[in-house]
Amino acid sequence: MSQFFVSILLILSGGLFSLVLVQQAKLSKIAAVFLVGAGCFWGASDAVIKLMQSVGAAKSFTYLNAFSLDFQIDGLSAFFLTVIFSISLIAAVYSFHYMEHEKNAIKIAVNYFFFCILIISMALVVTAANIITFMLCWEIMSLSSFFLVIYNHHSSENRKAGYLYFIFSHIGAMFIFTAFGIVYGYTGSFGFGAMDSLPDTAKILVFIFSFIGFGSKAGVFPFHVWLPYAHPAAPSHISAVMSGVMIKIGIYGIIKVYILLNFHTPIFGNIVLVAGVVSGVLGIVYALGQHDLKRLLAYSSVENIGIILIGFGIGMIGVSSQQPLMAVLGFTGGFLHILNHSIFKSLLFMGAGIAVQKTGTRSIDALGGLLKNMKITGTTVIIGSLAICGLPPFNGFVGEFFIYIGAFKGVALDTSAFAMSLFAIVSLAVIGGLALACFTKVIGVVFQGEPRTKAAVAADEKGPTMKISILILAGACILIGLFPGAIIWMPIKAVSALGLEYGSVPLEPFGQMTGNISLAAMVLLVSFLIVVGIRWFYYRGKIIRKSGTWGCGFTQPTVKMQYTGSSYASFILDFFRPAAPLEESHPEITGRFPLKTYYRSHVNDIAEIYMNKIIVTPVLFLFDKLRWIQHGDIHLYIGYILLAIILLLLFFI
Amino acid sequence: MIESIILWFLAILMAPFFSGIILKVKAFFGGKKGPPLLINYYTLLKLLKKGSVYSTSTTIVFKLGPVISLCTAITVLMFLPIAGCNPIFSFNGDILFVLYIMGLGRFFTIAAAMDTASPFEGMGAAREAYFPIICEAATFMILIFFYRLTGELQLSSYFTGNNTIAMWNTAGAPLLFIVLSFFIILLTENSRVPVDDPATHLELTMIHEVMVLDHSGPDLGLIELGSFCKLFFYSTIISRLILPFNLGNQGLNYGLFIVGLVIVYIAIGVIESVIARFRMDKVPQFVLTSFALAFFATIITLEFIK
Repeated sequence: MSQFFVSILLILSGGLFSLVLVQQAKLSKIAAVFLVGAGCFWGASDAVIKLMQSVGAAKSFTYLNAFSLDFQIDGLSAFFLTVIFSISLIAAVYSFHYMEHEKNAIKIAVNYFFFCILIISMALVVTAANIITFMLCWEIMSLSSFFLVIYNHHSSENRKAGYLYFIFSHIGAMFIFTAFGIVYGYTGSFGFGAMDSLPDTAKILVFIFSFIGFGSKAGVFPFHVWLPYAHPAAPSHISAVMSGVMIKIGIYGIIKVYILLNFHTPIFGNIVLVAGVVSGVLGIVYALGQHDLKRLLAYSSVENIGIILIGFGIGMIGVSSQQPLMAVLGFTGGFLHILNHSIFKSLLFMGAGIAVQKTGTRSIDALGGLLKNMKITGTTVIIGSLAICGLPPFNGFVGEFFIYIGAFKGVALDTSAFAMSLFAIVSLAVIGGLALACFTKVIGVVFQGEPRTKAAVAADEKGPTMKISILILAGACILIGLFPGAIIWMPIKAVSALGLEYGSVPLEPFGQMTGNISLAAMVLLVSFLIVVGIRWFYYRGKIIRKSGTWGCGFTQPTVKMQYTGSSYASFILDFFRPAAPLEESHPEITGRFPLKTYYRSHVNDIAEIYMNKIIVTPVLFLFDKLRWIQHGDIHLYIGYILLAIILLLLFFI
Repeated sequence: MIESIILWFLAILMAPFFSGIILKVKAFFGGKKGPPLLINYYTLLKLLKKGSVYSTSTTIVFKLGPVISLCTAITVLMFLPIAGCNPIFSFNGDILFVLYIMGLGRFFTIAAAMDTASPFEGMGAAREAYFPIICEAATFMILIFFYRLTGELQLSSYFTGNNTIAMWNTAGAPLLFIVLSFFIILLTENSRVPVDDPATHLELTMIHEVMVLDHSGPDLGLIELGSFCKLFFYSTIISRLILPFNLGNQGLNYGLFIVGLVIVYIAIGVIESVIARFRMDKVPQFVLTSFALAFFATIITLEFIK
């Protein structure tokens, strides 16, 4: 455990040094990046070793017998620690050149400070071993990320995003408090261990409350409303950490509560699976409809959280219907997708960050042709996109492969599990197709074709640490895709830590499956090389000419004629219109020579619409009516307090 | 193993020939003599001899498009049991790999089309991204059906030896639905009438053809060969499904398989001759039919297999 605290202290010192050295901007940044990097590296290697050797560790701090802060590392937390520290490490390296454009030294220092606090609090959440410690670290995590979201607080849009995030994370926390409150009410202890002694109905309540609470952090539909606002508002390395890692802490909460309750009812599996399917399909549909590159990626996180939950849902259904292999496959697929998503989503956010920083716009339809001047960024983003679509031979495929196999095991079961598995498989297929459409839009419109604006023409990709970071992540996507056998032990160790009463997890089928995936990927590579060879053979000594794109006889093409991202997505969005209502506005065209016109479109999120209609408006109405209570007279406020105490005394004594 | 490799090689070699049958059938319906059966080979050879013109808008992705679309098509054939024989590679879950490999091919076809900055190709790409979404749902529904019957997730356990006939024996009636459903998927995935028209060059009516407008020379040849192989993949499966018999003699089995293939290609040709391409907004409904058929077939099997 001391290793773990050493890394925490290193990261903390990084944050403090960046504040202390704020006068020397350069030094402050170097100190922060170096210390955070070192701390994360230390922490990641410690977590990997702990995970590999399956050794746990625990540490308890008691303060005056009032309460104790307990920390414990088991397989599950070691798995999450690995993800947290390694992605944060790369994000820290990336930030070195990314933050270069910021002139305000105080903003940089404060950003690093909260970045460090965020990493530390995430690491502490997954190691927390009692309710108080957990909630304390959870709150620190929410608050530090709030300060990171409002980094660019000069823009009112970002302040709104921060406000929304603040509200959502606290309502989420309230749900978690309620869940833990029920636990405390029954057991009278802050320990996690007592949770499996609850009565069954209480367990279901605790699960549902904590699912809503953790789900709102993870971005599960319909509690994801904050996510597409908050993630794009933060600087790109923070978006990468938030989307790649922080939302997974919500998933950690769900799975942790699931194990602690130790209650194997099909209800849990069904809830998780249905939530996963809805988040997955709608997340990617909304992503497809976005015009803002980073918002698109944020919605795609909702989709991936959906895939992870589908995996866990399959696992839970496997547990409740006594199908060990199905359970293990589902959970392993889910954990693997957590790892994979953290890699390719942070890659995509960092890649998008470079594009956004160099062109100064996040609007997809204002970009284009970036691949020509940004070779490394473009190529790595293409790799990330292939991975996030779940295509072989990249890492996204591996996780989905396990989830599919697990879900197919469920197809052979009785009606309820059959229906759920069918639902999961068909939605995974649809999600795959939609993700392909969504990310071909990103690649096709942002990185290919001709630049649509001047900003996109002038883009370059200077900044070595940014390029190194995305190259490492892209390399990881390819390596895991080609040799999943090399890392499959990590999710499997996490699954064994779930303690699913099956003794040890059967490793053999996984070895076989990863071997098969590697074999198939190799076959694909070999046939690729063969075809490249054939192509080379037929192009030897041939005359290759360059010319404009064939415009079907039209000789005056302009860049504005290119297919835009909005038109590209419109066919599919039309199909999903009931779930994704499209709002369009444009003036009517009149006269023979119409004047300058415009077209605006916006895909509405039904969760946002209904949340506004059902919750926000009535609550605002009610509070508006109660406004007279807040009159600003301090004497009466003291009166309120007295009145409240007297009422409480009357009721409870 | 050797046999499988020879079959794989023959499949790639013969795929253009079978596509020629469709042209012959269409010519017959049009009262014409039609091009020779080997027309596709002549076209391929002609294309391979030529040079290329590349658009100044394009990048390396444009050149990768044809390569990857052919490479995925021939890789997929390695996992396909041809005429009931074992494929070169086969493992539990290979069908998932095959379907996702086809997705990889589609990704690069779309990316290559978007690379040209042409509005026509963008439109084709948008449609190419749209219809397969429904197709994939239908394909996975069919997989669920097969899984209910065999308990395996492997192409060879559906289409080799006596496996196909065994499926007919357990659930013959729903399997008829599946054949129909799979035929619709074939038409959609291979851009045939009534979803797409491979013959027209009116850019706005097309999906797949418009996406390859800017490819020329050997690159176009690779794409063409890839689409012949892809059509061969789907046709092989249907051929095996409609003629699953084992005649005892391997030579006769090959003959039967070829008869099945010819039937499928003639059917495609007949459909292309007798009906027109659907309006674009009708296409999703047509494709959804295949999903509905597969879904009902699966629901029916719930009763068959208890």
